[in-house]
Amino acid sequence: MKRRLPLAICFVMGVVMIIQYFIPHPLSLNFGSMINKWYIVLAAFALVLAIGNLIRHHSKKIQKRKQGWPYSVVTLTSMFAMSAIGLFWGVAPDSLYQLIYLHILTPLGATMFALLAYFMSSAAYRAFRARSLEATLLLAAAFIVMIGFMPFGQYISTHLPPFAEWIMRVPNMASQRGILFGVAFGSIATALKIILGIERSWLGGKE
Amino acid sequence: MKWYEAISKIDRRIIYSILTICIILPFFTRFKMRQNIMPQTKQLFDFIESIPSNDKAVYISFDYDPQTMPECHPMAIALLKHCFARNIPVIGGSFNVQAPGLAVDAIATVTDEINRNALSRDDSLIYGEDYVYLGWKSGFIAAMIDMGESISGVFPRDYFRSSVDSFPLLQKVDNYKNIAIVIILSASDYPEYWILYPQSRYGVKIGAGLTAVMAPKYYPFIQTGQLSGMMSGMKGAAEYENLILTHGYAKKLGKAETGMNSQSMVHILIIVFIILGNIGYFFARKNEKSQQ
Repeated sequence: MKRRLPLAICFVMGVVMIIQYFIPHPLSLNFGSMINKWYIVLAAFALVLAIGNLIRHHSKKIQKRKQGWPYSVVTLTSMFAMSAIGLFWGVAPDSLYQLIYLHILTPLGATMFALLAYFMSSAAYRAFRARSLEATLLLAAAFIVMIGFMPFGQYISTHLPPFAEWIMRVPNMASQRGILFGVAFGSIATALKIILGIERSWLGGKE
Repeated sequence: MKWYEAISKIDRRIIYSILTICIILPFFTRFKMRQNIMPQTKQLFDFIESIPSNDKAVYISFDYDPQTMPECHPMAIALLKHCFARNIPVIGGSFNVQAPGLAVDAIATVTDEINRNALSRDDSLIYGEDYVYLGWKSGFIAAMIDMGESISGVFPRDYFRSSVDSFPLLQKVDNYKNIAIVIILSASDYPEYWILYPQSRYGVKIGAGLTAVMAPKYYPFIQTGQLSGMMSGMKGAAEYENLILTHGYAKKLGKAETGMNSQSMVHILIIVFIILGNIGYFFARKNEKSQQ
């Protein structure tokens, strides 16, 4: 029963939602809308679970004084402080919440991501070698696209930007479309396996 | 150490130092290079140009976070300037939980600038009439499908907790029928879901502003017409800034233009380093072969 009931709900709802999607009758649309609203509420509960999990994980870390526990204090303090500021003083453009968000969180996030430029340039210098025909082609394509898409590229040759655009619109698009088809077929197969109860790993446990 | 070994083993601290100089220098020097506008950016601009004033709204889905702000934030600002200059109402929303703060900032930056220079009501922008920001919603696939039935059903309150029924704009626009285009500004796969679900079901037009890393994936959607235009990376944002400037919708260029100068210099530097690395590699290999 513990396994059969979720499998039955999954099968019924999966089949009903597929049929509902293709029937534009008001009854079908209202049903679809109701289920979507349930889904939105359930997804919001997932956020509550995530917050609960975060609190539990970091509280344990602080209690047991595990390595890096002061960072857990910062995490929990920041989370509670931002929640309280947002809830009690609002989130208007000139609010304290927005001020902290724009002047602390935003620069921190941007800085973390900006570090990638350093790692990528160093890695490209060390690893990007024309060792084989494939690697040489990749290198040539990367150079053309990089130079062609820079404003500087048009001063080297007026043919460079259109050629870079051609690489994106023809060889890149062909490979991207191939990947998209692969992903789409894979998604359909996985969805069918879940609806029909062949794939059961989402239930958790063994079997 | 031989010369070719030296150029293929440059210390990373030297690389980082030169890179830092290349990033910072353009912010202190004033030079401008002509942007060659990519067709997909022009396509998005032309689509906004084709929307009649005070008719259908543009829905902007702000789905970027602080990490990708340098690329997507200038896009948001340029897009908002274009829409407001053409008297096109704007509805904003987010499915990325980190996005609302940036969305509020982009909207406030543009509306404050317009309202500061406004001489009459016709020139100014009023929240609820000309623009609304709905905030964040969980369960994005279900939400974007359900918005086709009723936007106020999915977002009963806006980001500032006001009931959306009180806004004249939301009384006029309650589903995709009154939305000319949905433009997603994102660093992840949100545009794909907008195409898969609301577009295939309700036929809503979709545009996108994506980070340069994400953009190549969306070229097939441009070709099929599922995307009505796209800004790709900081270059796309700089191109859009140039387009609104040349058409008289903005008085000056935005931050993407300056960012592009930094990015161009870094790209040149990376190319130079890769060439140096390869020269060193070839000479080392040649030397190895001759010794054998």
